[in-house]
Amino acid sequence: MRSHNLPILFFHFLIISGITLLGNSNNHAADSPIDFEKQVAPILSARCIGCHQPGKAKGGLDLTTLKMALKGGESGPAFELGLNQSSELLSRITPENPNSKPDMPRQGEPLLAEQIQILNRWIREGAKWPENLILTERSKSDASTWWSLQKLANTKVPKLPESFPINWEINAIDHFIAFKLATEGLKPSPPADRRILLRRLHYDLTGLPPTTEEVQAFLNDNLPDAYERRVDRLLASPRYGEHWGRYWLDVVRFGESNGFERNVLIDNSWPFRDYVIRSLNEDKPFPQMIREHLAGDVLLPDRPEDMLGVAFLTVGPFDDVGNQDPVQAAQIRANAIDDTIVATSSAFLGLTIGCARCHDHKFDPILQSDYYRLQSTFDGTRQGARPLATTAQLEMRGRHLKPLEARRNLISTGLANLEKTFQERVTQELKNRPVKITKPLVSPQGIEERFTEKAVKQIRLTILNSDRDPNSASGTRIEELELWTKSPIPKNLALATAGTKITGPSRKPGDFSDAYAPELMIDGKFGAAWVSAATPAVVVLTLSKPEILEKLLASSDRGGEIKGKTPYNVFLGDYTLEISTDGVAWELLADSARERPAPSEAHDQARRRRLGYNAMETAEMQKLRGELTEVEQKIALVPNFTSVWAGNFAQPAKPAYLQIGGDPQRRGPDIFPGSPSYLKSTMPAYQLDSNAPESERRKALADWISSPQNVLTWRVLANRIWHLHFGTGIVDTPGDFGYMGGRPSHPELLDWLANRLIDHGGRWKPLHREIVLSQTYRQSSVANSAGVAKDVQSRFLWRYPPRRLQGEQIRDSMLYAGGVLNETRGGPGFRLYQYLQDNVATYVSLDNPGPETWRRSIYHQSARAAKVDYLSDFDCPDNAQSAPSRLTTTTPLQSMTQWNHQFTMRMAEKLAERVHSIADPKARVSEIFKIVYQRQPTVQEVEESATLAASAGWVNLTRVLINSNEFLYLE
Amino acid sequence: MKFKDKRNKVMELKNTKMQDWLSRRGFMGDVAAGIIGVALMDLDRAESAEKPESWQPGKPQFEPKARQVLHIFCPGAASHIDLWDYKPALAQYHGTPLPGAEAFLSFQGKNGNLMKSPWPFIRSGQSGKPISSILPNVAKHADDIAFIHSMTSRSNTHGPGCIFMNTGFVREGFPSAGAWVGYALGSLNDNLPRFVAMPDVRGEPPNGKANWSNGFLPAAYQAVPMTAQQAIRNLNPPNEIRGESEKAARSYLDRINRRYADQHPDNTELSARVSSYELAARMQLAAPEATGMDGEPAHIRQLYGVDDANPLKSAYAKNCLMARRFLERGVRYVSLYCASRASGVDGLLNWDAHKTLKADYERHCPIFDQPTAALITDLKQRGLLEKDVLIIWTTEFGRMPTHQEGTSGRDHNPDAFTTWMMGAGVKGGTSYGATDEFGRKSVEKITTAHDFYATVLHLLGLDHERLTYYHNGTNRRLTDVHGHVIREILT
Repeated sequence: MRSHNLPILFFHFLIISGITLLGNSNNHAADSPIDFEKQVAPILSARCIGCHQPGKAKGGLDLTTLKMALKGGESGPAFELGLNQSSELLSRITPENPNSKPDMPRQGEPLLAEQIQILNRWIREGAKWPENLILTERSKSDASTWWSLQKLANTKVPKLPESFPINWEINAIDHFIAFKLATEGLKPSPPADRRILLRRLHYDLTGLPPTTEEVQAFLNDNLPDAYERRVDRLLASPRYGEHWGRYWLDVVRFGESNGFERNVLIDNSWPFRDYVIRSLNEDKPFPQMIREHLAGDVLLPDRPEDMLGVAFLTVGPFDDVGNQDPVQAAQIRANAIDDTIVATSSAFLGLTIGCARCHDHKFDPILQSDYYRLQSTFDGTRQGARPLATTAQLEMRGRHLKPLEARRNLISTGLANLEKTFQERVTQELKNRPVKITKPLVSPQGIEERFTEKAVKQIRLTILNSDRDPNSASGTRIEELELWTKSPIPKNLALATAGTKITGPSRKPGDFSDAYAPELMIDGKFGAAWVSAATPAVVVLTLSKPEILEKLLASSDRGGEIKGKTPYNVFLGDYTLEISTDGVAWELLADSARERPAPSEAHDQARRRRLGYNAMETAEMQKLRGELTEVEQKIALVPNFTSVWAGNFAQPAKPAYLQIGGDPQRRGPDIFPGSPSYLKSTMPAYQLDSNAPESERRKALADWISSPQNVLTWRVLANRIWHLHFGTGIVDTPGDFGYMGGRPSHPELLDWLANRLIDHGGRWKPLHREIVLSQTYRQSSVANSAGVAKDVQSRFLWRYPPRRLQGEQIRDSMLYAGGVLNETRGGPGFRLYQYLQDNVATYVSLDNPGPETWRRSIYHQSARAAKVDYLSDFDCPDNAQSAPSRLTTTTPLQSMTQWNHQFTMRMAEKLAERVHSIADPKARVSEIFKIVYQRQPTVQEVEESATLAASAGWVNLTRVLINSNEFLYLE
Repeated sequence: MKFKDKRNKVMELKNTKMQDWLSRRGFMGDVAAGIIGVALMDLDRAESAEKPESWQPGKPQFEPKARQVLHIFCPGAASHIDLWDYKPALAQYHGTPLPGAEAFLSFQGKNGNLMKSPWPFIRSGQSGKPISSILPNVAKHADDIAFIHSMTSRSNTHGPGCIFMNTGFVREGFPSAGAWVGYALGSLNDNLPRFVAMPDVRGEPPNGKANWSNGFLPAAYQAVPMTAQQAIRNLNPPNEIRGESEKAARSYLDRINRRYADQHPDNTELSARVSSYELAARMQLAAPEATGMDGEPAHIRQLYGVDDANPLKSAYAKNCLMARRFLERGVRYVSLYCASRASGVDGLLNWDAHKTLKADYERHCPIFDQPTAALITDLKQRGLLEKDVLIIWTTEFGRMPTHQEGTSGRDHNPDAFTTWMMGAGVKGGTSYGATDEFGRKSVEKITTAHDFYATVLHLLGLDHERLTYYHNGTNRRLTDVHGHVIREILT
């Protein structure tokens, strides 16, 4: 073991040395010297380090090492070495008199007299502190006692209390709920109305309501297993995965842009979304899903459609700006791995490991080294795309391509030879009529062209190519044009202020179309530049009246401030300049190809090409080009593989190391891949060595997480499933089973459910089935005063807790009510924003998204930080981080969107059209109610609705109904 | 059953709180029962973490010095040494190497020699504070400004730098300062948003909407983007539905929603939704009133430069004037941007002068200077800087004292930059902290965004360590786990 900077892990130590913080004074004779590790360190770790450690050194004091303690803070050293020295530390912790509160610790109770005595003696004895020993803060909970880290309880199903209805006898879940209700003095609610239950079930399992026909069929089905059959049918529906998949995508922070500054769309991420939907529809065992998420590429190289589960590791945000500063670059890389570590821990283990990046977790028994064991595990993971194919398929493709590519190369060589012959011929011919170079080479600092004595009204500058690459189509820049008149006093007329107009095709970023406008060439200022939309390009200047001019100047870097060839001073290469007095007849004034040296050999070739091929060359060229097209078509026909954003993996060159304070520049000991320490007592740990293959690292972690012995995996999953069925989990913080998270309302039930999941081989559907078949689930949501008084949130489930639909469900339901929901499954997503990219990306919410967007919301291409109407308004989370649960907020912005947005209008119109053929207004109202609410209207509602439709139109009626509470709430 | 007892107590509290909140009905979602549940969940958490503080969002924790914030942000990294932080040594050693930086690589790579500022600095006000001559109008307010010269950032990249300066984190997904303040203090005007973002006409700042995001706070706390160029989205129904039929439809919606809420009296979210439609309707009237500038007299328009021939300056001037109107009407936090994102040409659309510092700032400063100075003057003459409005000016980081290799511009410098504050509670004419003689690094009283916001929150009557919100395992803060109030610049 290395001795340098090795953190001593004090919470283990504390467990061994007992729970008293007295520092075991009883075990030490009063005259034996104080033992730092056993007596002093526990006090400092528990009461001082919290505020005095690197990164959070209150008063500038860091008490984690001897060196730092001696260095001290703003009030000087904490203590000094040597006998009988004064000590700032002691004076801070000692009360002035027995009744006053000492200055420190600021939080919690003062230290006990015995503890002060220990510290006092220790300092008087010379403050002995082993040199390389670093103290760490003690977490609030510990692994041996924290509830979520203990083995799953093998609880017996409690007996049903006698007061409960007989049908609660059947399902074990009901026993647990009933037992708790009875203990709390609460009574269950009666069964829900069948229509309401059916609506609940459909939304819960598929995210969509039942149709009018489905409601009727159910109400007419009097067989005892009618409900059960409906459950089975819905679980088998492909809509199931589209609904539950959305939740999983929230949990794994799935987003389709990279976030950060550039935030560009990633167009090949959607296969992961389809993979999730498919996996859930197939009821893939959860351990299998975990293994695919963490190591699909390793485990299933020959099953690409499942292998791509590994995209999980890299679907989070990452910074791709590219930083030349090595310190920042290291931090950015560490942040990218952090995203994977945090996502893994919160998705599967329900622990917030991110807190252990800088120091041991303050609340949970997660060590900083646990964090870096995972960093070591994911050290070889990089964001990027990989072909979705088996090794054999890749080889096969290679074999098919080989002859075709050889042929293509042959034709290309032929074309190159032909070009060479042509160039040589023209060069020879030109030797007889040499170009007279009369002007200098073009330069970004400026070109000058002189005019004749003739009055000019218009000037046309045709840019044939740029000075960099004559064959590139990208934009050329001009920062300023100048048109100087002759004496007596020369005047620049190329100014908007002089009434001159200018046109030229400019690059137009969507959010600020004038960014590179041609007017920037005549604004009288250097710096800001016109950037052409493409090259070639034509710029036309029109003067306010005909003028006699002396010269034209054009530049892209007049001041010569940008040395070297950068994208910032790309200038024109070859060009022509023409003048006109009427805009009809043009007179050539200058042609750079005849007067200036070519900027490069490629420019020379381009000039010669302008002279044209002869008939023979043309014929040969056409033949070869035809052949080339043919072979390229054949190449395109060789089946190619989709490239998917699923990450790339490479063996790390160096071992990972503990980063002190989370700073890659502060090197702690090397850390190797291994299991986190906090489940050591409930399941086998593993530790790999420093050169373990990258693939083994992820595989080992996948095995560890997916093990039936991993209590967190199963508790967390069982709770997530419960959470979605009832709106709140048994633990109301589904992503946090630690000290800061909620405590289980029904701990025994949670463990029972976790065991059931394991029994079901990790399949979700059998558990869904058990839950929705329970009487607990089938209760009415109607409140009663006793229940509200005791438990307004219905955590004990004395009723089914009503809740608002989620953003996707609201939007999907509007499409469904309008009868226009396009249920095309899978494939590239649609967009509810306009995507603008000019170096960085900007997202502008669409005012009136067209029918191509009328798909289920899960197929929306979810860019990070895009904020789109409906989805963002109704609390769909920003996918920068895992979102294990959603908020339900009510805001006027929401109301404004839903009431006024064009999408509402379209859906209201579609819904009105759907029932248009029903002539009788009352029957029509009735049909609309059945579609929107899955029920008949009351007599009063028919009356009122028909009246509104008569006065304000049917579209206004449908608009009102799809805005109503009853439409948005699930009972 | 100790745990259960506590839980029930919290639930009782939730019930009474809910009634309390409902009776107050602020604009952006105090009405929302769902939010209250969450806010109290936070309280619950604080309790379990043995935090004794009893403060609840909706009011300051102690007597505030300011009630509102005007946040002016110049994205692109506005150069401290060319605007605010006078470094005579740059002129003296112009063209010589920066000692000890031979192999230094910054964001875009290698750097050349030291480069003096293209503009002289001029002593301004009674305090004699040297300010760049390219900002003659803002310089007139020098005696009211407290400069913080020793700022540092965690990122040298615009996007992360901007969100760090707005949210306290370099990664996305965290609430911005305006969202925190709205969450902490609630609303002063029920009919307007608490938090308004005013992006520049040239586009959104680096990292876009993440700069005014609610992060993990409820949606009610996000900023509503509203500028002279961009009205609130979906404020009004489409043209085809206006007038009587709109009124009839609204009234019917109100009736059926109330009926449904009456049938489910336990669910306060339902009546909250009824209220939210009423608020939206009031907003339809209040927002155009706040943004309409027709009534502004000619001398005010002239003061700001609203009708300037430069369309970019005119656009920013209009936003400045609109910002004043928002503040007058009780918007809590106004985030006003001058310049935008990165572009195909560095320094064109924002303050990112990599290549041509002089040309770039001669374009940006005239856009910024007069309207900003006018906004300060106007707020001051209306007495709003005494007890109401705190003005903060920020950018994401500074620039290098050297020129970037082969150019006349400066590369990114996360180790030193200047921000400033003025207005309610701030001691004007002060300069806090310092950079080294070239402005390369902050050396004296090194300050971060966390210290900066600890101070802002302090002025608003909030202890930055007690303004927390539970999210994914942690009680999150605007100031992360850092931050010290800069007392030296307070009155």
